[in-house]
Amino acid sequence: MDSEDDMHDANDLESLDDDFYSGETGMGSDDGDGDYEFGNNASDDSDDGNLNRQQENYTVLSEDDIRQRQEEDITRISTVLSIERDHACILLRHYKWDVDKVHEAWFANEESVRQTVGLYENPVARTFSRELLCGICFERHPCDRMCAASCGHFFCYSCWRGYVSTSINDGPGCLMLRCPDPPCGAIIGQNMINLLASNEDKEKYSRYILRSYIEDNITSKWCPAPGCEYAVDFVMGSVNFDVSCNCSHNFCWNCTEEAHRPVDCTMVAKWILKNSAESENMNWILANSKPCPKCKRPIEKNQGCMHITCTPPCKFEFCWLCLGAWTDHGERTGGFYACNRYETAKQEGEYDEAERRREMAKNSLERYTHYYERWATNQSSRQKALQDLQNMQNVQLDKLSDTQSQPESQMKFITEAWLQIVECRRVLKWTYAYGYYLPENEHGKRQFFEYLQGEAESGLERLHQCAEKELQTFIDSSGPSKDFNDFRTKLAGLTSVTRNYFENLVRALETGLNDVGESGNQPTCSRSSSIKSGKGKNGKTRTIGGTTSRSLDDGNHSHWSCESCTFANTKSSMVCQVCHRRR
Amino acid sequence: MAATTSQASLLLAKQLRDLMKSPVDGFSAGLVDDSNMFEWRVTIIGPPDTLYDGGYFNAIMSFPTNYPNSPPSVKFLSEMWHPNVYPDGRVCISILHAPGDDPNGYELASERWTPVHTVESIVLSIISMLSSPNDESPANIEAAKQWRETRDEFKKKVRRIVRKSQEMF
Repeated sequence: MDSEDDMHDANDLESLDDDFYSGETGMGSDDGDGDYEFGNNASDDSDDGNLNRQQENYTVLSEDDIRQRQEEDITRISTVLSIERDHACILLRHYKWDVDKVHEAWFANEESVRQTVGLYENPVARTFSRELLCGICFERHPCDRMCAASCGHFFCYSCWRGYVSTSINDGPGCLMLRCPDPPCGAIIGQNMINLLASNEDKEKYSRYILRSYIEDNITSKWCPAPGCEYAVDFVMGSVNFDVSCNCSHNFCWNCTEEAHRPVDCTMVAKWILKNSAESENMNWILANSKPCPKCKRPIEKNQGCMHITCTPPCKFEFCWLCLGAWTDHGERTGGFYACNRYETAKQEGEYDEAERRREMAKNSLERYTHYYERWATNQSSRQKALQDLQNMQNVQLDKLSDTQSQPESQMKFITEAWLQIVECRRVLKWTYAYGYYLPENEHGKRQFFEYLQGEAESGLERLHQCAEKELQTFIDSSGPSKDFNDFRTKLAGLTSVTRNYFENLVRALETGLNDVGESGNQPTCSRSSSIKSGKGKNGKTRTIGGTTSRSLDDGNHSHWSCESCTFANTKSSMVCQVCHRRR
Repeated sequence: MAATTSQASLLLAKQLRDLMKSPVDGFSAGLVDDSNMFEWRVTIIGPPDTLYDGGYFNAIMSFPTNYPNSPPSVKFLSEMWHPNVYPDGRVCISILHAPGDDPNGYELASERWTPVHTVESIVLSIISMLSSPNDESPANIEAAKQWRETRDEFKKKVRRIVRKSQEMF
């Protein structure tokens, strides 16, 4: 019966927020006892939609695909330009595998292309003697023991071999290898490499050519996941950069960070920089320390009186409040816990600027920590969900199909639910970066955003609960359970409802929440949401969402921390209990 | 490996023989130790009509075992003051850079190391470097600055090292 309740809850939500659960209204009238076929169809449909969208946008290429495409491009150039395949390959490499560019340049001025690339039609040097002097080892060799690139500068095989192998082992620069004769720019192609290099080096060389097809081509990139060997070819000009590699890694084609809709690449870069940068350390130091007036090392005052002695070798003694030498202090300036000079100067407004900066840094640090923690939590939840998904696919599904005596092909809905959970965690994670950068002063947007985020959290929790706990009972049960089909309907339904909600959420955030005016009727929304979720799930799923941030705010309001000694005073006191400073 | 090593030492021996037979103006060359073909000692005579005119500069050329596929390194033993010579004496010219250093092929083909270079062509490049310093990518920043900004002091300093090299000789 528990499941029935949950279904109702989902349906309630749906009817309340038509905008956000659009598309699947059929589920609303379904009342939980619909047959499995319906749910299955619904999720299949949306899957196809996804696939279609992806296929317009990008193609995932395996190594074989890459080779095939490369061969096709080479064939095109070699037939259209009537040149050897080897030369076509050199031309394509030079023009970064852009077939059109090769055509354009070649037909505009073949001679100048040949010059720049180093493909000479007529040998620069030509000799007809039977024996030649090799310019590298200075030995004379018969002509048939020597060879030359298109330029006709002959060197002996053994010197060529050394030259070629050194160059290949030096890295991908070997694709640009030219004739050893200094002023000569004749390029060395793959045919010549195959003639001269060892098998191992030939293999390396052809790998470099393969890599160059992806790395030099502006429309393709390797999947950045560790160990993944797929590449992704992208249709330039598409708006949506999210691509999903066959290795199941989702990444942003534009910045190759992991997929990060609804936030954009610049925001991601900013956020990642912020997470790793020293700037947060600086903020902490700024907020929680003062520099020693003599040696300027930052000092944190974590306890004790205002008489500070800097650590050796400085050993300067000073007053924490006014930062003056302690020799000028004593009984008459207010003793160890106050400083009259400071108070006077403060009243004249001397310290305001520094104090304000410190306070601001502190606030901004707290704000950042708030968002960062939640971002990181979702990140690790996502990792956990990925592991669970694998465990599910490798072990549990087997077990389940045994106990419920149903074929594994009928268990697809479980994998789909878990994939959706993983995806939701990813989106949710980035909404915290989004929230951090959402301007503080746009109250309407902030409130609406937090509401949507909270709803997303609870929707996801509901799905997670169902896919984890409720499923477990079926795995553990001793024999086929007749509730299993109901469960299937429910989980499939929850999956598609959650998918729709998150897709709409992403779209709404991407358009910058533009539907929201500053009309100020959002608080009602927010209140109704908390009432509703309290009713539906006894509040137990709302641990991470907007509620937490609210309670944190509450925490801030019950105390105020003293600006100078940082003591947390109760709200009622107007003067700091430790340093007697006014609030 | 053994094959390439012996190829390298044969080639170096041949170059040494040729240089003994028909010396080239401007420098003299020999081995540091007769049993080791890979360490050469060259004495470069400061090119006439340059700041280095009259100096005798000793340098060591160390060849890798896979010479001529990789370039040797050259290091002055005599005190040197030049924008393209590191303070410790190492010479920095583009033909001594392995082609691998520049995978994008930005340097012109003629500027990189190629196996056709010999002791003779390397030393001639160093002599031409002495007569026309390249202050765009300096190895010795102090010297490059002085060369650009206070040429007189640069000249004075070079005259001192030239005198010193003559005393040592």
